[in-house]
Amino acid sequence: MPVIGLESSAHTFGVGIVDNGKVIANEKAMYKIGTTGMIPAKVAEFHIDNSEEVISRAIAAAGISASEIEGIGYTMGPGLGPCLQVAQLSAKMLAKKLDLKIAAVNHCVAHAEITRHYGKLKDPIMLYVSGGNSQILTIEDKPFRHYSVAGETFDIGIGNMLDSFARNLKLNPAWGSSIEKHSKGGKYLQLPYTVKGMDFSFTGLLTRATELIGKNDIADLCFSLQETAFSALCEATERAMLLKNKREIGICGGVAQNKRLRSMLNQVAIEHKSRFSYAPDEFNADNGAMIAFVAERMLEDGMSTPINKCEIKQRYRADTARLPRD
Amino acid sequence: MIQINEGAEAKIYKTEILGKEMVLKRRETKKYRVKELDEKLRKERTRTEARIITRLSGSGIKVPRIAAIGLFSIYMEKLSGKLLKDLKPTVKQMTEAGELLARMHEVNVAHGDFTPANLMLCNNQLYVIDFGLSEVTNSSEEKALDLLLMKRSVSPKLYSIFENSYRNSLGKSTEIINRLKEIEKRGRYQTRTLA
Repeated sequence: MPVIGLESSAHTFGVGIVDNGKVIANEKAMYKIGTTGMIPAKVAEFHIDNSEEVISRAIAAAGISASEIEGIGYTMGPGLGPCLQVAQLSAKMLAKKLDLKIAAVNHCVAHAEITRHYGKLKDPIMLYVSGGNSQILTIEDKPFRHYSVAGETFDIGIGNMLDSFARNLKLNPAWGSSIEKHSKGGKYLQLPYTVKGMDFSFTGLLTRATELIGKNDIADLCFSLQETAFSALCEATERAMLLKNKREIGICGGVAQNKRLRSMLNQVAIEHKSRFSYAPDEFNADNGAMIAFVAERMLEDGMSTPINKCEIKQRYRADTARLPRD
Repeated sequence: MIQINEGAEAKIYKTEILGKEMVLKRRETKKYRVKELDEKLRKERTRTEARIITRLSGSGIKVPRIAAIGLFSIYMEKLSGKLLKDLKPTVKQMTEAGELLARMHEVNVAHGDFTPANLMLCNNQLYVIDFGLSEVTNSSEEKALDLLLMKRSVSPKLYSIFENSYRNSLGKSTEIINRLKEIEKRGRYQTRTLA
């Protein structure tokens, strides 16, 4: 059934449409963070200004009429409160207007599920790396089907760490891809490396790297920061894979677009004769299609939410969200 | 040399030195990371692990004896016994496990992975093995995490035997027990399911 999905947990207002597990539209408008990062109220305003246009664009791209849509999904969390509210309210309004069933979707689960779909992964160790989150996820069936967290960051998300460092370096745009660009040709400097079992931490690393700004070459700093942080993620992922006895590795979330991190994880997979895979980049960045994708499965599995119960949860954890059947 | 186990960062081999059976734990190169970081981590961790085993064995705690230490490898006495995770732990064994952890914490070693998978019963005596994640610390946080891991690995009944014995054997256990309660209250631990 055609299901529309709305996403606005951070800088992207995304609208996707899915029919029988197939993405037929994935449109977005993205707030430009420049050198300052995100101010939640400003980003929310941006989403409000763009919501109608992106929704119309998605429906047009899907080549269907609005009346053919049978269900709607929105990002319930985690994310920034003011931003989340925009998709929540838009979803409620559309649901009323078009008489649609609503699914309240967990953002992390949506990233993992769309990657499982496009990466053709059955039961992987999934490294979910974005601005606010960094977790190692695996599917568990008990006490209910869900993504359990095998390991995660003790403090900030990897994306947040890279973005902060980009801001400290005054790079424009101030986010991770600029760090990746500037890391070319860098030499390795020793930086704090923190892994405990399957958990990891990034603030010590960020502080030390920031102290070294001005005393070292930018390329060396960017290269060393990436290498240190990504090695920590790989070690934790490798340990989780062995402990949980998995044969597949997936990566999802915004930082999954980083080529160096992908090549490192691929190396981990090779060493354990496992398969490594990921989704096309448009699904690693925040997008509405992944929300629609999970929403369709949820609605087919009887997991709809009455319109007066459609909340947002800024700290909605993946391991508390029921996962619909494939 | 036969490989008998593979961890995330080290491989365990069965080998012989002067006709005596030995276990060799070697931290292997990880191709995914740069050479400078790879060597630093392998060297530091090997050194720390060896130092901790020596410290514990010096305090009379049952651990495998070290025969030789290389840059990235440790040769240890081969214990022949069964892991507690493959047995049905008895009251006596859980009591002993509590005493063992208390004595480790007394000399400021946090194990880092204190579960029945790292306790081995040899000749009716309980040995602690695998110090790959251990550290020398007097932080009650790290010590409380040792308790937490055990708590998540065994039944509530076995855990309470273990914790009681730990409390009785360690003079200053109140701070650590309180810390454990505090950790469990933190958001990320409430919903997290552990292996």
